[in-house]
Amino acid sequence: MLINTKHFGKIDLDEDKIITFENGILGFEDYKKYTLLYDDEDGERPDISWLQSLDEPMLALPVISPFLVKPDYNPEVEDELLKPLGSLSEDNIVVLISITVPSDIEKITANLRAPFIMNSDSRKGAQIIIENPEYEVKYHFYNQLAAHKAVKEGK
Amino acid sequence: MLALSRKLNESIVIGNDIEVTILEVKGDQVKIGISAPKSVPIYRKEIYLQIKESNKEAVETNANEEVLMKLFKKH
Repeated sequence: MLINTKHFGKIDLDEDKIITFENGILGFEDYKKYTLLYDDEDGERPDISWLQSLDEPMLALPVISPFLVKPDYNPEVEDELLKPLGSLSEDNIVVLISITVPSDIEKITANLRAPFIMNSDSRKGAQIIIENPEYEVKYHFYNQLAAHKAVKEGK
Repeated sequence: MLALSRKLNESIVIGNDIEVTILEVKGDQVKIGISAPKSVPIYRKEIYLQIKESNKEAVETNANEEVLMKLFKKH
């Protein structure tokens, strides 16, 4: 199916790439269908993807793996909230967090408190507010990521 | 908004399966017990609003794409 996207223009999307968020996401409860897009121009998948709404082209959230900025990320989630996603296992669970990017990139933050949890088999997802009070809604990680990259590039 | 007066240990029932009980009143703080099906998410409003706001900010990301892509590019 052809869809309009915020960052990639009009694309042809396979139906099996559609992820349904039955409760939508907070603040955008009316939009239920999403897909994950990323720029593979370099032939290598970057660490950032976009959770793109199929209903509203301008609705796209930048998302990253929580482990990129918090290697020991271990959210506590009420099992009952995940039940609608179907049976989750290490093989089918996908956990991503949104980032907000102010004009000063160094002030970039990640939302550790409300991850998007998806089941790649059932293709259902939900945004869950987790119990852990230590995980911030606005977690600053620029310095940490930049330092990590510098180490990698130095090798 | 419906306003109901309740005393300590009194409850209100919402629908068939949600019950809200006043557990403790201490100065300007009230402790509330909520019995609801586990599938009903219950949030402190401040957190709920923060997340909503954060989602909206994320959608507004218009950062210089190049800077952003550089930060997340794999090497």
